[in-house]
Amino acid sequence: MLKVGVIGAGFIGNCHAQAWQNVNNAKLLKIADIEELKAKKVAQQYNIEYTSNPEDLINDKNLDIVDVCLPTDLHQEFVIKGAKAKKHIFCEKPLARTIEDGKKMIDICRENKVKFMVGHVLRFFPEYSLIKQQIDAGIVGKPGIIRVSRLNVFPVSETGKNWYGNFERSGGVIFDMAIHDLDYLRWCFGEPERIFAKGLGFTEKYQQGIDYALIVIRFKSKIIVHLEASWAEPPQNGFNQEIEISGSKGLIHYNMKEISPLIVSLKQTSSQSAGVNIPESPLKQNPYSLELQEFINSIIENREPTPTPDDSLKTLQLALNILESVKKGEIINL
Amino acid sequence: MNKKIKIGILSFAHMHGYSYAECLSKLENIEISAIYDDNVNRGKKISKKFNAIYYNDYKKLLKTDISAVVICSENTKHKQLTIAAAKEGKHILCEKPIATTKKDAVDMIETCEKYKVKLMTAFPCRFSTISKRVKQILDENKIGEILAIKGTNHGTMPGNWFIDKKLSGGGAVIDHTVHVADLIRWMIKKEFKNVYAEIDNLYYPELKIDDCGILIIELENGIFASIDPSWSRPNKSFPFWGDVTMRIIGTKGIIDMDLFNQKIVVYNNQQVKTNWSYYGDNIDMEMIRNFIDCIVNNKEVPVSGIDGLKALEVALAAYKSAKLKKLVNISEI
Repeated sequence: MLKVGVIGAGFIGNCHAQAWQNVNNAKLLKIADIEELKAKKVAQQYNIEYTSNPEDLINDKNLDIVDVCLPTDLHQEFVIKGAKAKKHIFCEKPLARTIEDGKKMIDICRENKVKFMVGHVLRFFPEYSLIKQQIDAGIVGKPGIIRVSRLNVFPVSETGKNWYGNFERSGGVIFDMAIHDLDYLRWCFGEPERIFAKGLGFTEKYQQGIDYALIVIRFKSKIIVHLEASWAEPPQNGFNQEIEISGSKGLIHYNMKEISPLIVSLKQTSSQSAGVNIPESPLKQNPYSLELQEFINSIIENREPTPTPDDSLKTLQLALNILESVKKGEIINL
Repeated sequence: MNKKIKIGILSFAHMHGYSYAECLSKLENIEISAIYDDNVNRGKKISKKFNAIYYNDYKKLLKTDISAVVICSENTKHKQLTIAAAKEGKHILCEKPIATTKKDAVDMIETCEKYKVKLMTAFPCRFSTISKRVKQILDENKIGEILAIKGTNHGTMPGNWFIDKKLSGGGAVIDHTVHVADLIRWMIKKEFKNVYAEIDNLYYPELKIDDCGILIIELENGIFASIDPSWSRPNKSFPFWGDVTMRIIGTKGIIDMDLFNQKIVVYNNQQVKTNWSYYGDNIDMEMIRNFIDCIVNNKEVPVSGIDGLKALEVALAAYKSAKLKKLVNISEI
């Protein structure tokens, strides 16, 4: 049984804490957050230890794994500290904010002979892996245009210290949203050749809480990708993801909002001010549990995880190239 | 009783011609009196159906007492037919794209001005009840400042002369870009500045003509837009001919428009493939009614030759961009 500590009790930390409950051969034992109340809340929910000092968790001799669920620009510091403390490291995407940071993190994990995996979770969404299977089986023939969308409201962290709102820290929709699809697209279609992108990241609109990007990527395999990434959605739109693969023999389309295996609709009651509809799509192991399971298996089997650290570095490089295209208004040839 | 207005139709090479003829035939004050087609069989058959006189020489047709013509020839023949009609004083509704080169389009526009005839470009999407509603919402400033637009005009591969560059001027990109480009320009009242495009022939490599692409366009005020004009709907299995969609991102909200998404889903054992059956308003009818109204009441046409040219320029810039792998300014076209 591998013992796990999570650093960061924000959105993704909560998500991982829950996901760890469903991972074989692993047990979540501790959570850290500099905001003690947030850590305590998660700890009580899963009956685990908590600390407001991440160093305590990193140096906890009882733990085998550190799961870094921190803002992007803090990944480097805590991944390196964890690796030096000989913990296997799982790190939320994106790998880092710069290539230099990313390379350093990977090198130090290698030097310390610990496993390192970045949470490009889209590969573990069953609908997305099914799509890849069907493409590989030739269902659409030779793929031509791929259209992907990833949409959400502009994120606000509940404590008000909104690191997402700081473009230099988060990298906006390209680093936080599109990066999922970039990793998936590289997994399916190989390496990119040319990029052109437009976005709001470097404009005053970002400061006002709107980010939106339209990206075109020509891959070496000739396919053309159109990618939409949005933090411009009104709250009632919520999150959505969509993908369409068209090819010489067929077309595959998936839109999360069209999938509703289970909807619980509640009438207005005295304790609940308005009626709500809560859609669910329950699976035995959710995609987050599946990605963490892959990490655990890679440790047990002593092999590289999928995605490999180099995959994550290449995906980061692609995101940086897109950002460069947006900033300069230029076509980037790779 | 008012005398009926006589209309001639020049060529049914473009299948929209059938729809326009149907629409015209439903109007009380209209008579389709003459039809020209360089395909004799097609021309005679349709002339019989609409009770019109068939001409194998359009110059003779243009000498008759018709008020206007509807041109649905192959794209590269638009210019010749438009200029001949203008010189005979006939008003013109010309199928899109208005032409296949900027020079042809300019010649057409100038000739029509010179002979004082109306030239309307057939962009029926402007006459959709849905797109008019979108324009109204934008005019009321409901979604605030416009930041970006994501558009598509997908279709199936049309075959026929559409895949013969000498007649069509190009494939999917010239065929489909113009519809969305025109909607964008009409709705947000901004001009295009530059275009980047990736264009290829990936679905039907045997055709040797572009069947897919993605354009990214910059407009005035830094607004950016993408258009996907691809013939990406699988011909045999897709339940509908395609789509016209727009997603408009504003500071105060977002509009998601899917122009033909008024449909029922039909499963039928004889047809095997699923079918979407459309029940929305007839946009061709609205466009034809508008054209006729402009002639009867001597009004300015709602979609001009210039509008046709501006949309064409985007498609031409896209081809140039894809060839040079560079950003192309509209002014370079």
